[in-house]
Amino acid sequence: MTPSDVLSRGIPRDDPTAVLLVGLCPAAAVSVRVIDSLWMAAGIFAVMLLSGFCMALLARGKTNDGEVAPRAAAGGWLAALVISSFLTASFEIVLLRAAPEASAALGIYAPLIAVNCLVLTVIDESSRAPSPGRALLDAAGKGAVFAACLLLIGVFREVLGAGTITLFPLSGFSGTIVIGSLSRDPARAISFAGGGLLCLGYLAALARAVKERRL
Amino acid sequence: MAETSKSRAPGRLTLSPAPHFGAPTSTAWMTWIVSLSLVPAAVWGVFLFGLPAVRVIATSICVAVAAELASSALFRRFTLADGSALLTGLLVGLLMPAGAPLYVPAAAAAFGILVVKQSFGGLGRNWMNPALGGVVFALLSWSSAMTRWAAVGDASVGTAVVPPLEALRSALSAPGAVGRPLEILASHGYVFSSLDGRIVSWLNSHVLSLFHAALAGGSFDILVGYVSGRIGEVSAPLLMVGAAFLLWRRIVRWQVPVAYIATFAFLALVFGGLAGGQGWFSGGPLFHVLSGSLILGAFFMAGDPVTSPLASTGSWIYGIGLGLLTFLLRFYGSLGDGVAVSIVLGNCAVPLIDKLVLQHAPARAREGI
Repeated sequence: MTPSDVLSRGIPRDDPTAVLLVGLCPAAAVSVRVIDSLWMAAGIFAVMLLSGFCMALLARGKTNDGEVAPRAAAGGWLAALVISSFLTASFEIVLLRAAPEASAALGIYAPLIAVNCLVLTVIDESSRAPSPGRALLDAAGKGAVFAACLLLIGVFREVLGAGTITLFPLSGFSGTIVIGSLSRDPARAISFAGGGLLCLGYLAALARAVKERRL
Repeated sequence: MAETSKSRAPGRLTLSPAPHFGAPTSTAWMTWIVSLSLVPAAVWGVFLFGLPAVRVIATSICVAVAAELASSALFRRFTLADGSALLTGLLVGLLMPAGAPLYVPAAAAAFGILVVKQSFGGLGRNWMNPALGGVVFALLSWSSAMTRWAAVGDASVGTAVVPPLEALRSALSAPGAVGRPLEILASHGYVFSSLDGRIVSWLNSHVLSLFHAALAGGSFDILVGYVSGRIGEVSAPLLMVGAAFLLWRRIVRWQVPVAYIATFAFLALVFGGLAGGQGWFSGGPLFHVLSGSLILGAFFMAGDPVTSPLASTGSWIYGIGLGLLTFLLRFYGSLGDGVAVSIVLGNCAVPLIDKLVLQHAPARAREGI
């Protein structure tokens, strides 16, 4: 596999959210506002990237021939979990300082990044990666696709479910785009958890159609 | 077979796989008949609520048909002729209050056709009634627009704009409401039509006084459906006419509606009075069966052959479950009369019920299914 193959593995063959359907809980719970989706995606991306990289380093350190012995993998797992929880805690602190409102909206899902299934998947795969560089590339590809999916769902749900798009406040811009008529009577059901799962379902269907080259 | 082969030209055989019998029914014929049997209730709704009702029904039918056409084009499978899109649109319209802003029926019909039906493979593969899926989507999204009731007739009728069931629910949510449903409504100043007043007082003084009984005010209005409500749900007699036709033609199996309505009425009778400060066995089952969209839901949507159980045992379980859910949602829930939501939840349980029934069926019966 060339590096670009590794990087683009996420689309759509191994796309974590839309094909493998892992990491669903935060995706459905948090993607109500665009800004929350952005922060969640950023957090998962960073934690995934760094803990995958560390896992690849650790697993590699144990053996010479690239094969990972079970004991080494178990020790590496523990180490990687410690690292991912440390990274998650750092992310929480940054989030609390940079965007208190988003921090409140993410709630329990921010600390839970440490044991997010998607992060765990990437850690597991990194332990078998041929090199730390490859592990980093793989994690980056998956993280980017996850971020894109989350953002897509976030935009869709916030536009239809609330009639707004919440972004960062900048000078002269409050941070929220209000879509006139839609914001008065939005389809609130889309912003419920069921609406989030519905969006995920369509995303999964789209990914499958692309994979089977029917679209 | 013998007769059909006689009627054909000699020497020509018809080869076909078993079963060797047929019926002159088809899916399209069934959906058209169901739509036709809803027409009396729809006409009554239009008579009561006037032009706004026409606008709501027309919008939902047009959007449903347009959505079906658009998705047919996408899947390259033309399915408009089976009449199911029109039926879905009609049902969505009938389940809307006449005062609903037109984007609500439009969104509900589009959601029902595109998401609930076509996304899962079209008619026969939907696991939820499309019309009810759309209506529940609208209920969750625009709950205040879904309670924009319209006045009955012109000002001379004088009936309250809020449907009796909704008025009762809001009266019961405040402490101090005591009595049977119609008594509570009367004590809260709910106004029924002047016609109802004349008929009920005549009956009370001339007929029922002989038996030392009396009808509460509003009985006539509730029975006939001369009250406010969703467009298609108000007239129980006219709905029953359509339903009787469907039962006669065996388009709807009787088990589901009977189990559904009987369970609900029994629970309303036993526990319905508790909320109004009464004892057990003192609810108003007739009031509760006739108000809300129970009759419409039980006969025209719960028994939908696509989304109800296959076997008759399953139909009983399903119907009883629906009655229980509707009772709970109506008496202890916050989302309207509870019919649409409970049928949608019941639809979700149908595959499980079928599996359960099949597991416990004897092998002989299983082959039959």
